[in-house]
Amino acid sequence: MVSLPTLKRTAEQGLRYLRRQKDIQEAEVFVASNAGLTARVNYTSHIPCNGVEEPKSTSSHGLGVRAVFQDPRGPRIGLGSEAGDLSLNGVKAALEKARRSAVHDPDFTTLPRPSPERRTLTKYHDPSAMTLTDTDLVQAGWRVLTRALDEFAKAGSLSASAQTGPKLRELGFIVGGDVTVLLERMAMGSTRLPKVQTDESTLIASFITAMVEREGAKGTGSGCHTRLSALRGDAGAEAARNALSAVGGVRIKDGAYAVVLGPQPVTELMSNLILPSLTVASFYDCSSAFHGKLGRQVAHHDLTIYDHGALPGHMGSKGITCEGLPTGRTDLIADGKLVGLLSSFYETERMLRDPAAKEKLGVPPEDCPGALVPRNGFRFAGGGGRRFDIAPSVAPTNVFIEGPDKKTREDLLRQVQNGVYIGRIWYTYPINGLRTGDFTATVVGDSYMIKDGKLAAPIKANVLRINDNIHQVLQNIVGITSKSRGTIIWAADEVVYAPEIAVARLRLTEIAGFLDAH
Amino acid sequence: MSTIPKFITTDLVEAIKNTAVELTTEAPATHKLCRYADLRIEVTEEKHAGAENGTSKYASEDSQFACGIRVLAGDGAIAPGYFGQMLGKADLPQLAKTLASGLKHAYERALANAREKARTRAKYKDLGEALSDTRLASVEVHRDTVKAEYSLDPRQVRLDDMVHYVTEVSRAVRDVDEQLKYNAVSAVTLITRDLFASSEGACIDQSFALTKGTACVVAVSETGDQELADDIGHQRGWEVITEGVVEEHIRNLDLLTFSTNLARDAVKLAHAPPLRSSDKDVVVVTDPHFNALLAHEIIGHPTELDRALKMETAYAGRSWLLRMLNDTMVGKTVASAFVTAYSDPSLPGFGHYKYDHEGTLGRKVAHIEKGIFKGFMNSRQTAAILNVPPNGSCLATEAHLVPLVRMSTTVFAAGARAPEDIIHEVDKGYYVVGHRIPSIAESRENFRISAQKVYEIHNGQIGRLYRGGGIMADTKTFLMKVDAAGRDFRLFPIPNCGKGQPMQGRRLGNGGPTLRSRAHLTGPA
Repeated sequence: MVSLPTLKRTAEQGLRYLRRQKDIQEAEVFVASNAGLTARVNYTSHIPCNGVEEPKSTSSHGLGVRAVFQDPRGPRIGLGSEAGDLSLNGVKAALEKARRSAVHDPDFTTLPRPSPERRTLTKYHDPSAMTLTDTDLVQAGWRVLTRALDEFAKAGSLSASAQTGPKLRELGFIVGGDVTVLLERMAMGSTRLPKVQTDESTLIASFITAMVEREGAKGTGSGCHTRLSALRGDAGAEAARNALSAVGGVRIKDGAYAVVLGPQPVTELMSNLILPSLTVASFYDCSSAFHGKLGRQVAHHDLTIYDHGALPGHMGSKGITCEGLPTGRTDLIADGKLVGLLSSFYETERMLRDPAAKEKLGVPPEDCPGALVPRNGFRFAGGGGRRFDIAPSVAPTNVFIEGPDKKTREDLLRQVQNGVYIGRIWYTYPINGLRTGDFTATVVGDSYMIKDGKLAAPIKANVLRINDNIHQVLQNIVGITSKSRGTIIWAADEVVYAPEIAVARLRLTEIAGFLDAH
Repeated sequence: MSTIPKFITTDLVEAIKNTAVELTTEAPATHKLCRYADLRIEVTEEKHAGAENGTSKYASEDSQFACGIRVLAGDGAIAPGYFGQMLGKADLPQLAKTLASGLKHAYERALANAREKARTRAKYKDLGEALSDTRLASVEVHRDTVKAEYSLDPRQVRLDDMVHYVTEVSRAVRDVDEQLKYNAVSAVTLITRDLFASSEGACIDQSFALTKGTACVVAVSETGDQELADDIGHQRGWEVITEGVVEEHIRNLDLLTFSTNLARDAVKLAHAPPLRSSDKDVVVVTDPHFNALLAHEIIGHPTELDRALKMETAYAGRSWLLRMLNDTMVGKTVASAFVTAYSDPSLPGFGHYKYDHEGTLGRKVAHIEKGIFKGFMNSRQTAAILNVPPNGSCLATEAHLVPLVRMSTTVFAAGARAPEDIIHEVDKGYYVVGHRIPSIAESRENFRISAQKVYEIHNGQIGRLYRGGGIMADTKTFLMKVDAAGRDFRLFPIPNCGKGQPMQGRRLGNGGPTLRSRAHLTGPA
């Protein structure tokens, strides 16, 4: 990793150079150093395996220049980048690329201008994560795996079965997933902003799936941390315990069921369906499921959702955006009403000037300036890193979902009485496009029948498909727990602090019956 | 090292070839417990341009340069370690040092991994028995150079011309109909050059051209709305965009005609009624474009051997085709006799290559032959577990990422029937045209895929158009009910297949002919 002072010096030097260029109206330089260290785990008791499959890293550093060039036909905006070169030569090379690729974009107004809001989050990274060694990385992977193996090894019921039936390993224990440490440093300066700023963050996550495959039982464990010291392998133990709890799974028939959604399904629905529809960009391009509904009721009045990128101790937090603006809280849905959208500076400026803005938002943009504040312009790579070679786009950070009451899981189960607890879903897609709200997913683990207000028999993995519409889900919420859990889905950058949510009805279809006959 | 160029171009690969070969062939000697090492280097020169609603949005012209290293090492056990880094021009003077440092990191990780593996194996006795030495099935060692194919060299295309072209296309799309509320048109053209070198003496230098065009549109009528997005592309130059492609199995229009046609379809669909879901199976005839995604999801993915061996349980899922090593569907009936399916990297298009990223010569892999399941795509490591020959299906999207078992071009084989006859035989059914969005169950045992268009078939004639439609079925049930396969075999580009942690979005190819089977219809909820 390149040091923060080096990145800052590069940004300062680069900005001084850019200010001297006669054909430049305004410019910014973004300098970044990223590293992703991952110990990917694969253990199968019934198939030869490595245990820790891939102890690996990827790293990059470089700089990007966005510049607005004077042109008799109107300003032209271009982006160029240079990997690995933080010298003035790197700035010059990036500027030349920006000059060659500049286009006239009539929606572009200026580079981001200072916000009236102030940065509140500084010095929040874990310095010890920045010095993780190769051995530390490997041991982190083995720690999470052996915690799972410990649970499997001591599982009494399975040991008994192993005495009389197949050997323990023939029950098909699977432990898969990863421990990932993401290290991000950036520095940014702009002719529009008062000074060069820096930011540094560490994100530590583990996501483990365990199975007792012979029983079709699957369980999940996860952890999201900002401190390396919190990584003790708990995700492995949790996954194994959840898999053991799921032994003896049952099938259920097609129908509309009252459900309680666990944190992972809530996160899948948020990340794949709801959050993509809560950006200014998706309103601009007419793809949002909430098109034309700003200021209107879009969900049950119990539901509140907001994004907050400036909270210390939360994994998705950043001190500043990749546009150099302060992070902060953006209210999205308040008591069921759509009150705000995630945005970047460019997207907000574009929407404010769009002749069709009133039709797209549902209200004139000048009537809701607080709804379009650009606190979420980031250069994320889809699973970690702040890239220097792309322009900012809209991305969530920490997303919070809350209800008005102090409810527990037991309260929701009692409320539902009879139905299904869904603990993990997969391949959740807006099957007819985002705008329709239709979605589908399969239920892949950690799920149980709810009988007489309590968790009852586990549901076999991979026997149910959900086919429904997100508006139906949002309108039919009947309860939200006060306790939430930081959850990230595969390839996402945001962390959803997801509670459990009870929904009055969700359509479930039984699938894959042929496998039971096989 | 030969004279290093000053800029990142694909010529760089020639300059560093000897260094790469030296580093890897000497690795077992220079690193005491190193059993195997390989190094991948990739340089890509690429250009992009995009437009929205008739105005230009962005353009870029740049090069990417990256390296990735794998080491197998250990004493009490053998285990892998990896290293990856994205590089730039400033890294060139010190490149040999950077690569050597990367090799050292990968080696240290492999050693630490091997120590922990041995320790855990000893600690857990019964459960520890599965922790095995990492082995690679043997392959013939190759030294080869493969050139890219193109008419219009991506490196010679002027960026201004690309910007102008996509902007004009976006303008033309906007002008198709005022009910088109949004459109985005983009194009990319690139040359990639990969180098693979290993401690076994392999040295493979492969180049690929690739060009892709994408159009997205949103149409809104008084009665409905429709989003559509689709791609054209081939492993060729800019001519793919401006002239289209007319080859035996790949036919795509030029980007302008393609995009305006897509826009007209979106407008028609915005006026069409929504499809009602069926509560039981109906006859469905699926066209080659739809079947490309179907082949991808229910043939390609479950036949990736790493997935079948449970290595993707936490991410991309497993495969219903293999339960345990002694309980697989190999040799068993999984489809009707009308179904044959295979993967073949020699087929043209996005999935074409000669060698994979382990230096294995890619070859055709039969998955289903007249309904009988035959086998999996594999890597050297997974082939060793099943004790089968490697078939060259291990690839990474970029050199700094770890290769995984990936599709090359996976297809349903052509049948003998005229597609119009397949439709004419249907009294009542549906014609499902063009793929949109998939959702597949974890072990690929069930699927739901939405279509661009669904038409009613009545008395053998194509009738009413519906929007928001698709099909859903259990995989084996659907395959067993296939009762006709057309001779209209086509290949299509799939621009973004996601796998791995971190995610790798790979461009590959899929295809097939018209098929007829049974499935549930799915419509808007």
